Amino acid sequence: MATPSHSLSYAGCNFLRQRLVLSTLSGRPVKIRKIRARDDNPGLRDFEASFIRLLDKITNGSRIEINQTGTTLYYQPGLLYGGSVEHDCSVLRGIGYYLESLLCLAPFMKHPLRIVLRGVTNDQVDPSVDVLKTTALPVLKQFGIDGESLELKIVRRGMPPGGGGEVIFSCPIRKVLKPIQLTDPGKIKRIRGMAYSVRVSPQMANRIVDSARSILNKFIPDIYIYTDHMKGINSGKSPGFGLSLVAETINGTFLGAELTSNPQGQGVAVLPEDLGRNCAKLLLEEIYRGGCVDSTNQSLALLFMTLGQQDVSKVLLGPLSPYTIEFLRHLKSFFQIMFKIETKPCGEERKGGDKVLMTCVGIGFSNLSKTLK
Amino acid sequence: METKDQKKHRKKNSGPKAEKKKKRHLQDLQLGDEEDARKRNPKAFAVQSAVRMARSFHRTQDLKTKKHHIPVVDRTPLEPPPIVVVVMGPPKVGKSTLIQCLIRNFTRQKLTEIRGPVTIVSGKKRRLTIIECGCDINMMIDLAKVADLVLMLIDASFGFEMETFEFLNICQVHGFPKIMGVLTHLDSFKYNKQLKKAKKRLKHRFWTEVYPGAKLFYLSGMVHGEYQNQEIHNLGRFITVMKFRPLTWQTSHPYILADRMEDLTNPEDIRTNAKCDRKVSLYGYLRGAHLKNKSQIHMPGVGDFAVSDISFLPDPCALPEQQKKRCLNEKEKLVYAPLSGVGGVLYDKDAVYVDLGGSHGFQEPDEASPTHELVQSLISTHSTIDAKMASSRVTLFSDSKPLGSEDIDNQGLWMPKEEKQVDLKTGRVRRKAIFGDEEDESGDSDPEDDEEMPEGDRMENSSGDETEEEEDAEVTGKVYMADKGAKRQRLEMEEDSEMDLPAFADSDDDLERSSGDEGEEEEADESSEEEGSDAEERDNLEPKTIGKGNKAGLLHSNGLSDGLNLEKTMKKAALTTSDSGHCTAEEAFASEDESEGSSSLSTEEKDSENEALVRKKFPKPSQAVSGQKRASESLIDETSDIEDLLKEEEEYKEASNYSTETSGALKWKEDLSRKAAEAFLRQQQATPNLQKLIYGTVTEDNEEEDEAGEELGGLFRVSQPARECKYKADSLDCSRFHLEVPHDWDLEEVMDSIRDCFVTGKWEEDKDAAKILAEDEELYGDFEDLETGDVHKGASGLDTQTEDVEEEIKEEIDSSAEESAKKKHLDKKRKLKEMFDAEYDEGESTYFDDLKGEMHRQAQLNRAEFEDQDDEARVQYEGFRPGMYIRIEIENVPCEFVLNFDPHYPIILGGLGNSEGSVGYVQMRLKKHRWYKKILKSRDPIIFSVGWRRFQTIPLYYIEDHNGRQRLLKYTPQHMHCGAAFWGPITPQGTGFLAVQFVDGTTPDFRIAATGIVLDLDKSIKIVKKLKLTGFPYKIFKNTSFIKGMFNSALEVAKFEGAVIRTVSGIRGQIKKALRAPEGAFRATFEDKLLMSDIVFMRTWYPVSIPAFYNPVTSLLKPVGEKDTWSGMRTTGQLRLAHRVKLKANKDSLYKPIVRQKKHFNSLHIPKALQKALPFKTKPKTQAKAGKIPKDRRRPAVIREPHERKVLALLDALSTVHSQKMKKAKEQRHLHNKEHFKAKQKEEEEKLKRQKDLRKKLFRIQGQKEKRNQKSSLKGPKEQLK
Repeated sequence: MATPSHSLSYAGCNFLRQRLVLSTLSGRPVKIRKIRARDDNPGLRDFEASFIRLLDKITNGSRIEINQTGTTLYYQPGLLYGGSVEHDCSVLRGIGYYLESLLCLAPFMKHPLRIVLRGVTNDQVDPSVDVLKTTALPVLKQFGIDGESLELKIVRRGMPPGGGGEVIFSCPIRKVLKPIQLTDPGKIKRIRGMAYSVRVSPQMANRIVDSARSILNKFIPDIYIYTDHMKGINSGKSPGFGLSLVAETINGTFLGAELTSNPQGQGVAVLPEDLGRNCAKLLLEEIYRGGCVDSTNQSLALLFMTLGQQDVSKVLLGPLSPYTIEFLRHLKSFFQIMFKIETKPCGEERKGGDKVLMTCVGIGFSNLSKTLK
Repeated sequence: METKDQKKHRKKNSGPKAEKKKKRHLQDLQLGDEEDARKRNPKAFAVQSAVRMARSFHRTQDLKTKKHHIPVVDRTPLEPPPIVVVVMGPPKVGKSTLIQCLIRNFTRQKLTEIRGPVTIVSGKKRRLTIIECGCDINMMIDLAKVADLVLMLIDASFGFEMETFEFLNICQVHGFPKIMGVLTHLDSFKYNKQLKKAKKRLKHRFWTEVYPGAKLFYLSGMVHGEYQNQEIHNLGRFITVMKFRPLTWQTSHPYILADRMEDLTNPEDIRTNAKCDRKVSLYGYLRGAHLKNKSQIHMPGVGDFAVSDISFLPDPCALPEQQKKRCLNEKEKLVYAPLSGVGGVLYDKDAVYVDLGGSHGFQEPDEASPTHELVQSLISTHSTIDAKMASSRVTLFSDSKPLGSEDIDNQGLWMPKEEKQVDLKTGRVRRKAIFGDEEDESGDSDPEDDEEMPEGDRMENSSGDETEEEEDAEVTGKVYMADKGAKRQRLEMEEDSEMDLPAFADSDDDLERSSGDEGEEEEADESSEEEGSDAEERDNLEPKTIGKGNKAGLLHSNGLSDGLNLEKTMKKAALTTSDSGHCTAEEAFASEDESEGSSSLSTEEKDSENEALVRKKFPKPSQAVSGQKRASESLIDETSDIEDLLKEEEEYKEASNYSTETSGALKWKEDLSRKAAEAFLRQQQATPNLQKLIYGTVTEDNEEEDEAGEELGGLFRVSQPARECKYKADSLDCSRFHLEVPHDWDLEEVMDSIRDCFVTGKWEEDKDAAKILAEDEELYGDFEDLETGDVHKGASGLDTQTEDVEEEIKEEIDSSAEESAKKKHLDKKRKLKEMFDAEYDEGESTYFDDLKGEMHRQAQLNRAEFEDQDDEARVQYEGFRPGMYIRIEIENVPCEFVLNFDPHYPIILGGLGNSEGSVGYVQMRLKKHRWYKKILKSRDPIIFSVGWRRFQTIPLYYIEDHNGRQRLLKYTPQHMHCGAAFWGPITPQGTGFLAVQFVDGTTPDFRIAATGIVLDLDKSIKIVKKLKLTGFPYKIFKNTSFIKGMFNSALEVAKFEGAVIRTVSGIRGQIKKALRAPEGAFRATFEDKLLMSDIVFMRTWYPVSIPAFYNPVTSLLKPVGEKDTWSGMRTTGQLRLAHRVKLKANKDSLYKPIVRQKKHFNSLHIPKALQKALPFKTKPKTQAKAGKIPKDRRRPAVIREPHERKVLALLDALSTVHSQKMKKAKEQRHLHNKEHFKAKQKEEEEKLKRQKDLRKKLFRIQGQKEKRNQKSSLKGPKEQLK
């Protein structure tokens, strides 16, 4: 059945998630060689192994082969199964690392996914669960993946290095996705945020809020930043604090930014005022980039556009992140899909930097796992 | 056939005509219908019952909604592919004749032999592909999947045949295309009445199968072996105007009904191994959905393949240009049927095929738009012309083997036509060829005078007004490169982006190029870096040499056997190396791209130079942040892109040099080149640079191919530096977009740059609240003015009138004001109309309307999005779109496909969706067909047709219990749905399927065994069968028993601890724990005490495994004439039959006569006490039986004397006589009595009669008397008065 050209081959562990996710969706086996082959500590890391384990949990019939040193991975995808799953994520990376891929896969399961993820909820590398909740879920809604069961609930917060956080993510399943036409992001009508602190003084959060407001108030008065101080078992194993901000436009675009304190025992201590200010500036940066989808979720939106009906989908994005660029290349190799990319120069208007209009025709993907009753 | 005495005309009593007449009649009588019944008689239509009214309203609404279909996005392309008309019917019904007649009807041409699909132009907007379908079930299944319209031929003299019904069922399962019945052989009926009856009967049967009212055509008879013209014309008309509803499977999958097949295998390979896998190219119109390159396809009857290459060709049977005329002229009535030998000259990427038929298949290329085609040709060149020359082949007849250039000794056969073209153009032969769609091949035909080409081309590219501009751009580009730190040249950047399009559009090109040029071009690269003009020249020359090298390599690999021919071609090649001129520039671009992409060394060197530029260009183009340092590794390829741009500019420079050199060229050339350049620029502006940055030439896909295909002369492999050097392969995998140097958000101007992103910022003209408000005010302020001024000017109010007058005066004063006012006026009007529309529609619009509107909008967007782009670019974005005539190359096709090619059998290339190429478990809902005689057995191999595929597999049938358990069935139920699960190709849910037991041979019975629908796909499956484990108690305590014989080990028991068990008599229990003593025994508790004779059993469910057997039906690989003889795995029944093995029946399963044993019951024992208490009636009677009579009471036997015996005998005789006498007397008496009775009865009757008469008499007299009395009493007083 499977012709030799069917399988794809890559080298290096970068963009491992993209490759495995796209492989699962397209049904094409993938082989990844030379994973940290020249490294002192070769092979897959713990968090990658955990990710592969997670994939194994949510699929049925996947074949995963890893060589002795862990430098070569062969992945033959099965069908997405879903259901109720629990997974302990590695504390080396945030839950966002896993959640981002789950967001891509969840709508195409056989049974609606309800997964409990345990690990680090907020860290400095990956998009935190707060940001994903406020920015990624609206993106899903644009494609017709909505309903009560689309939910991301933060039960416990866990900061690095200890972790101990817990989130529950549930997502309904869809047979087909709607095409989107998001060409006008609209103007920002409000800014919301969440300042959280665990195992530190609750005053920290208030200090963050004040400093962040001082910057953002220059642009818009409608700002509200919630403070979230978790105690006891809900506060995880390590102290820390942080802020996540999200700007909402009148057309339902959500742009997010976030910043987290340095993990305990790593780097210098961060003043909450600095953190608040810097985070606000990051949000402004994100607003400057603009687009209908924020920079973290670009690839998610592009993926769902690809997997749409055989209709034209359009989305206006800010500058493409390196991750997205690589994602586009992967989309081409997995789905033979190419986006029409038009640069929209900013011109005279005071609306931030250049935008990119991405257009594609969906491949007419349909959820092969979903049972017909 | 006509009856002699025709019926008289009968007046219509009902129907529209009668009504009309009645109306007229009434009108004549002045009774008129000025009022309809509702008005005339309102009471009759008044509401009688609210409930009934509600009900009727409900019903009408229901009916209305029933008519709605779920709206779907209309994805039909603007130029749709020809409609597939399948002509189906049993043998000898007249299929071929009908096709011939149809073709003749549409094209005025007569095809003697029809093989394979025939494409014809049937109207201004419609083309038809007609194909015949025999009664091989393989063919029927395949064609039902691609058919848009089925002409179902039925022999009326015979009636329906099984094939017809089979085909109908196949169609139903695979989406149900339009079906039109055609009755033939109607001339065999002698009597009109018989004919009518037959027609009616067939029509109604047909209607029950298809749908009531389905069109049935009657072809009354043959004239000179053809159907009557008028009837065929009508049929054709019906086909041309028919509308189709899209079928789900067809619209979601691309497919091609191939109308041409060429074998492209290297002849040397075939010579060494005649059975080697072939490389074929197939041609046909793409239908259904968009087809992407490198996608998976399935060929029903052959197998799965990956497309190795797709290209689109000019339409061989194009629709006529848009014209006002109503009908087609003779030239536009095209017919295209390469398999039947019709279609004229066929140009291909690497071959020319000439058919000397009298058709219009080949038309001269239009000379009206040469510029566009020039650009097209520039873009679409995929290899050097000499390479094409070598590989080009000529087919004289479409089914003959193509001739390579090496085989051509006498070109006389096809040259004349070509030369004719040449003569027309005199000196400028080659040029002419370039403009044509098929320029390369025609250019090849006379390579001797091709030498000046490159110069000319070069000049075309750059001469004219554009040259200066280009040079300017180039110079600025250089300056730009020199001072990297300078923050400017946004403009230049944009121009750069314009430059790179050809390379981008041509990115496939470098895939095809042999590795020969690779190394050399890398050299060229480095040299060009130096920016010396001599280097540039060298660069320009090199491709020529490359061309040579390329050529040599190609020849080598081709391995031409014919020595003489080889020499000849070599000579030609030498002559034509320069012929590749017009591709060189372009290829140089491409090659640079590639060499950049692949050679990391050079890239890294250049990095440092261009980094600053890159950062500026992307992602921060604003001038404010020039000093950014972003060292993101993945952007390295961007730098290489920048370099490419610069290179291209250099190329331009050199091109312009050439143009100055050859300024003395001909006038027409100049004009042409200018046009070409214009078109070129236009195209460049369309596509931005970012595209190339991302997809460029560095995508993995392409790289991989390069790696695979790069061999030098079949000996050495070009070692390419590993790709991962381009970006850090092992870096952190993170989706966040970090900025190294963010903006300083404390600065006022930086803050200002995003001011308008907030609602507090400035709004756009059309959205600004204040402005909108003002506009509205204006609108509503003089609303009435508009009304009055527009319509009732005379009757308008005084003030408005004066205003109008004033306005008029103003308008007269200056025209500009007038114009603006007019515009304003129009605006107002439009706005009003919009408002009205919105208001009006709001009330009407339903969910359905909204949905429909949405779909419509989406469809429009789909159409509009890529409309303005040329096909080359479009194909990259959306894939090859339906309606294109495309050529698909497939490798590794079994040689039998080519060797046993039979054009009568359809070749279908069905595109597969994602993961439809993989295998897994498929579950479906299945029902045995009601006409199939047998039931189906689990684990019997059966042939399914699902999706595009036909394959044999081993299904298991199951039924779902109420608790969701899937229980195995041994056989399918008779008249019920059941589940079926098999291991095979994954096909989307909701796809219909059908099953046949065999595809070989013909049986008189109905062949379709089952139909159904795919429900679920999975990689594992849970079908279980019941398993009863039995055991026996060996020790019984009260309610506890020890049971043995159920399990074999303690481990097994442990697995079933707590399981429910039961005895045959129904005592329930539970397994407790394993015992040590006999292995596998356990302790169990029950709800009651067991007996030793009890059997204990446990009901368990045992999962069954489905055999992983998937065997595609490769019927197309069978030899010609035996294609309907494919047979796969045989069933056990068949094997048994073949080997004469009798099934050994289980003795216990056999039926035996039931022998009932006599049951003996013990006597009823009633206790004495009870007995006493019983009433006498029910008390057992203890009368002793008359036992033996004691001896003393026994009477002795009497022994008579002879005398006594005589006496006794006499007495006996006497008594007999006496009794006889008595009997007789009795009889006599009886008779006498009877007679007496009769007599008495008679007497009685008489007496009665007499009495009756008497009474009658008496009554009469009495009556008369009474009458008289009455009379007298009435009269009495009067008489008395008198």
